[in-house]
Amino acid sequence: MKPFVHRVLFAGSASLVGAFFALPMLWLVFAPFDESPSLSAAVPRPPTLSNFGDLFDNPQVLRSLGNSLLLVGGVVGLVLIVGAPAAYVLSRIRFPGRNLFLYMLLLLSSVITGAAAIVPLYLLIFGLNLIDSFSGVTLALAGGMLPASIFILKDFTDSIPRSYEESARVFGASTFQALRDVVFPVVRPGLAVIAVWTAVQVWGNFLVPFILLRTPDKSPAAVLMYSFYTEGGQPNLRLISAFSLLYTVPILVLYIFVNRRYGFRFHGGIKR
Amino acid sequence: MPGVEIASITKEFAGGVTALDALDLSIEDGEFFALLGPSGCGKTTLLRTIAGLEPATSGSLHIGERDVTALPPGERNVAMVFQDYALYPHMTVRENIAYPLKVKKVARQQRNEEAEGAGGSLSLDALMDRRPGQLSGGQQQRVALARAIACRPDVFLFDEPLSNLDARLRLEARGFLKQLQHDLATTAVYVTHDQSEALALADRMAVMELGEIRQVGTPAALFHRPANLFVAGFIGSTPMNLITGVVGASGVAFAGGVLPVAETSAPHGADVVYGIRPEYVGLAGPGETLAGSVKVTENLGAQFLVTVELGEAQIRATVPEGEEPQIGDRVGVMPDARRALLYDAANGTLLA
Repeated sequence: MKPFVHRVLFAGSASLVGAFFALPMLWLVFAPFDESPSLSAAVPRPPTLSNFGDLFDNPQVLRSLGNSLLLVGGVVGLVLIVGAPAAYVLSRIRFPGRNLFLYMLLLLSSVITGAAAIVPLYLLIFGLNLIDSFSGVTLALAGGMLPASIFILKDFTDSIPRSYEESARVFGASTFQALRDVVFPVVRPGLAVIAVWTAVQVWGNFLVPFILLRTPDKSPAAVLMYSFYTEGGQPNLRLISAFSLLYTVPILVLYIFVNRRYGFRFHGGIKR
Repeated sequence: MPGVEIASITKEFAGGVTALDALDLSIEDGEFFALLGPSGCGKTTLLRTIAGLEPATSGSLHIGERDVTALPPGERNVAMVFQDYALYPHMTVRENIAYPLKVKKVARQQRNEEAEGAGGSLSLDALMDRRPGQLSGGQQQRVALARAIACRPDVFLFDEPLSNLDARLRLEARGFLKQLQHDLATTAVYVTHDQSEALALADRMAVMELGEIRQVGTPAALFHRPANLFVAGFIGSTPMNLITGVVGASGVAFAGGVLPVAETSAPHGADVVYGIRPEYVGLAGPGETLAGSVKVTENLGAQFLVTVELGEAQIRATVPEGEEPQIGDRVGVMPDARRALLYDAANGTLLA
């Protein structure tokens, strides 16, 4: 009997811990369908879609989601287009100071988009005359994502034996062909990881677009959520909860799509 | 089938390391040629220079009549099998074998047929749709071979292709590789650090040390008459006995006695190194002129390797199983004078 009691106790306490972490999720599932949601999670009676109706009456909602998608697309594209070749070069070519450079990258990655750098970042974007433009936000966010992305992609590229490219070259492939046929397909799961990670970071970034954009019409979703207040100055939980649910959907879809299409795995090589 | 002609090839790496030092080497048509040496001797660099993966600093390289010194790897018509096989993990076996043909812009239909053919000849028929990660080491090795064969190259370049296999499979693959090369009659250059592999496979072989070739010849020639002490010490699964002594009237005198020599041009009083393989040293009763006590006996299967202490020197002999002495026994030692080799003690070269 003792093992049985043991297992019941274990399952019981694990469920408690799980419930503790699941409660906010539960709120996210219940509150959007509640006529008058509070901060506690409660099954809505009766469930209603009126919150979403009110939400979509606000023309800024869909526009902000569009703005977020635009920013995500721009930053992910820029990070992959700049990061992948940079990582390849850092992986394959030895030059003096390479390791120092890599450690600088790692150090900088935690600094650039952080709050500490927001003033110089603002001044830089201001100097470039890119305040209140998507290009400015895209550049700032991509600059923040690139160091860590390059560092991670370099590790992915390091795990591809040089002999892959060399054998392709001996068979007559050009450098470009070897990259396209051999290196790119093998490193693709790594690129997918970076793309999803960047997308999640950009989608959720509040500070950078909040500081660098002025026009409300250009606000991405994360910034727009900040503006949902009632006339009385209280947070409008009806809109916030409905918008929060909407806000999570694209990231979930992205994750499922990328996982299906590319898979967060790495092709196994041979024993060595 | 063309051979490979290497004329005073030098390769210096950035930083001033000379990997190849004015090498001359002529590899005949259809020959299985092994490059043997310890790690860092330049054998892999030489192979990569033939492939075109490392540009030579100076010198020239011909494959058949063609001067390929300045050609990129893809235009040399060579196929290389890498130590790690370099199979592409995202392609099936068929796509892997067909990849060189795809690069050469052969139509899909034809390259798939060629891949089937090459794969079939290496018994890979059932595996054509698998990925390399689903294959055993031996199967991966055969896929790499099939890919090389499908290119129909002028020269095969093998970079230690058996070193990732376990010992039993390595023996099997070795025989298979030799037969395959014989059937295709394509020139092959084979790099290895394993002397038994080189002896078993090669028609001719070169032993390299520090970027230089120390001896070129047939396996038998290198085994029986190593041209210098380096080759003598490197070749043979049981190391050659090398004993320092002085040439006298009846042989080579050393601290433990006199070693017999058939005939030599070495002058009396010359300092020499006396070399004899353990296989050519017999053991007898303790009444012989050379006698000592047995220090170690090692079981090699059908034979025993016996180490006998002769004064301050040691000499190893192989004896058939069942005839091995006990440790501590006093035994007589009888080197075969006709098999003995004398090396100049100063520069290590073989004295005629």
